[in-house]
Amino acid sequence: MAGQTILEAKNIYKSFSGVPVLQDVHFEVKAGEVHALMGENGAGKSTLIKIITGVYSKDEGQIYWEGQPVEINTYQDCQKLGVACIYQELSVIPPLTVAQNVFLGREPRKGKIIDYKKMNEMTQELIDKYQFPLKPTTVVENLGIGQRQLIEILKGLSQNSKLLIMDEPTASLSGKEAEMLFKIIQTLRSEGVSIIYISHRLEEVYMLSDRLTILRDGKNAAVLEKDEIIPAKVIETMIGKVVDESAGSKKMLHSDENAEVRLDVRNLTDKTDRYRNISFQVHRGEILGLGGLIGAGRTEVVRAIFGVDKAESGEVYLDGEKLECYPKASIKNGIGFVPEDRRNQGFIPLLSTTRNVALTNYDIVEKKGRAISDASELEMSKRAIEAIDIRPNDPDKQVGVMSGGNQQKVVLGKWLMRDLKLLIVDEPTAGIDVGAKDEIYGILEDLAKQGVAVIVVTSDLQELLRVSHRILVMRKGDIVKEFKNVEVTQSMVLAAGQGVEEEA
Amino acid sequence: MKKINWSKYSKPIILVAFVIALSILRPKAFLSLDNFSNVLWSVAVIGIMVSGTIFVFLIGGIDLSIATLCALSAVVVVSVTNMLGGGVGAVLLGVLAALVTGALAGAIHGLIITKFNIPAFLVTFATQSIFLGLAMVLTNNKIVSCTAPAFTAIGAFKILGFPLPVYFMAIIALASWAVLRKTVFGRYVYAVGGNPVASEISGINVRGASIMCYVVSGLTTALGGVVLASMTQQASAATGAGYTNDVITAGVIGGVSLLGGEGTLPGAIFGAVLMGLLNNGLNLMSVPSTHAGLVKGLVIVVAVAFDAMNHADQSKKKVKKFKKTKDTAKESA
Repeated sequence: MAGQTILEAKNIYKSFSGVPVLQDVHFEVKAGEVHALMGENGAGKSTLIKIITGVYSKDEGQIYWEGQPVEINTYQDCQKLGVACIYQELSVIPPLTVAQNVFLGREPRKGKIIDYKKMNEMTQELIDKYQFPLKPTTVVENLGIGQRQLIEILKGLSQNSKLLIMDEPTASLSGKEAEMLFKIIQTLRSEGVSIIYISHRLEEVYMLSDRLTILRDGKNAAVLEKDEIIPAKVIETMIGKVVDESAGSKKMLHSDENAEVRLDVRNLTDKTDRYRNISFQVHRGEILGLGGLIGAGRTEVVRAIFGVDKAESGEVYLDGEKLECYPKASIKNGIGFVPEDRRNQGFIPLLSTTRNVALTNYDIVEKKGRAISDASELEMSKRAIEAIDIRPNDPDKQVGVMSGGNQQKVVLGKWLMRDLKLLIVDEPTAGIDVGAKDEIYGILEDLAKQGVAVIVVTSDLQELLRVSHRILVMRKGDIVKEFKNVEVTQSMVLAAGQGVEEEA
Repeated sequence: MKKINWSKYSKPIILVAFVIALSILRPKAFLSLDNFSNVLWSVAVIGIMVSGTIFVFLIGGIDLSIATLCALSAVVVVSVTNMLGGGVGAVLLGVLAALVTGALAGAIHGLIITKFNIPAFLVTFATQSIFLGLAMVLTNNKIVSCTAPAFTAIGAFKILGFPLPVYFMAIIALASWAVLRKTVFGRYVYAVGGNPVASEISGINVRGASIMCYVVSGLTTALGGVVLASMTQQASAATGAGYTNDVITAGVIGGVSLLGGEGTLPGAIFGAVLMGLLNNGLNLMSVPSTHAGLVKGLVIVVAVAFDAMNHADQSKKKVKKFKKTKDTAKESA
């Protein structure tokens, strides 16, 4: 199956203002293989991809395409060679049809007029060839993110691309959509298309890739063949630490039934029926994991508890007091909330770490009359930076230019400055590298030890098992399963979330 | 070799260059004491207005009704003052009526924009026509004048050689700076402009803060109208014509982002000073009013392009600096 080398990048060097980002990096993709590219944030993955796609220019080195040396100076250059990049932020146009999007700017014409019939036929041909679950005439608006991503892929294929670059393609997909994408990737591979697959989700990489290149600190750390791709080895190579291989596949849950009830949710029901009759409790010092597929209603439930959206009916009690659910009141009552979509909901990109950390805490920042004490504000921010190791440790740094893991620490940090009773985190480590993930788990565990009740919503099963003391699984708006004080495995949680009964 | 960061000093340099150019081109006219007062008046009106409108810019809004709200407030203050006989009490009530008009207009803007989620430019585009219409109806589309000494003193009275409006500007700019820089509300304004969704989740009453910003903007616009009417001793639907452009330009030249979340009051005041000088310069160079718009438009384009260039430069530096700190952090680890 693995054929000739199609793309080869040799001795690539790149530095930004004298700081080396890539040093003597080799990267090689063969025809018809899925080649995963891994490494922690800042390891140089995206720089390498940007050099291959002509976004950055390299300082030294040579890129070969099908054995010939090539110069790639713009994205158009790489498109001409037959490389297509499927971006995380999709560039499809919602009001147009699938076919119109695929052939945007390259529409088949009869004279001056676009030949829609031919365009639809050409799109159908492609769809048939690769077995995409799409119709040429569907308007994109009506499609989910997963299908929109497939359109991007079709677009690449329609230009006879031989190499597709996928950067975190499953980041915003539901389990089912991801499954669909994996099938398509298999089909593409059997048709001889090569794929560079970048993902933080290790299990996807194990499942899909034929080979794996790992970068660490801008250098080649390893190139692994299929039979060498072993989870512990990969993580070790990436971060240079030894990891327990069995960690994450199963866990003995231990929730303390006798601890005081902190949060008591009763019969919470949504206006638009995304969740109904949700009742559960969280105890002091307990980390409750909320599992299930994307779209099961988990995010909606926690948003209603914090009060970002209003529930139609139901009550929420904290330490026995009935709550009024809206953000300002929730914050005053000792609830913290880390939303799902970090960039759009979590922080203010233009503002500094100090201003972001202080944003929810002006009630406790010192003031002279109505004037905020800059010193007190700065002291708080330094405390947060110190407590959870936010980098860079400059309190005046704009949060928008920091790495994902550190942005998330800023979002979390502001809650750590308050006396919390309950912290709700929704997908706390999405798009964050392995090292930072562990740090965030540590923060959550520390909070629990101090008696804070923690709710973790996550689609990452490994994460769910890693942090939870008890797990609730939601499906289609209902809580369908509770796991407590038992040994639980990833597949048990998955089965409950998908409504499949599985023998334990 | 140490590189001087010129972009940091670009504003004072531009100002000094402008003053030197005018001093050379029109030495007698520009450097006279009379003209100095003219410049101050012009700067004061723009400065007063931009000190309030900056709140709207910072939350990512815009106000296209500045000029006509200015006219309406001018008409209100003159009409009320005249109606009540032109004494000190009448003037005070007139000013109060104008300020209430401005605050009300701002509140209406804020309510409509936040309630129906309509873009600010559309709402204020509509109201500018309404305010103009009201000013015309109130005056029968004529010029109303008021020469009551208590009224004209607002614009003309001098303390230590400076006209009263300069003191207004100083007080309002200082207050605005203090609110933006020192208070919780000021912090919230920047947060709302930078990311309204995250602000809401952080417990900020985004709607209330936005409405407040429009009220502040309405108030300073009305005060600008009062000062203009007093300086010219008259008011009509045409009072303040051109000020929408001047105020927005002052903000933009001063580095206030119309996308929200970025900009400082000293920057905006710098913009006001530059606009005042520009207006004065165009006048002294006898550029006909037909051409003045052309020149101002060009200045906006150049200023915005310059700012964008600086910005691109800085964000590049930020990325580089960030990579550096990250790398050194790694090395030390």
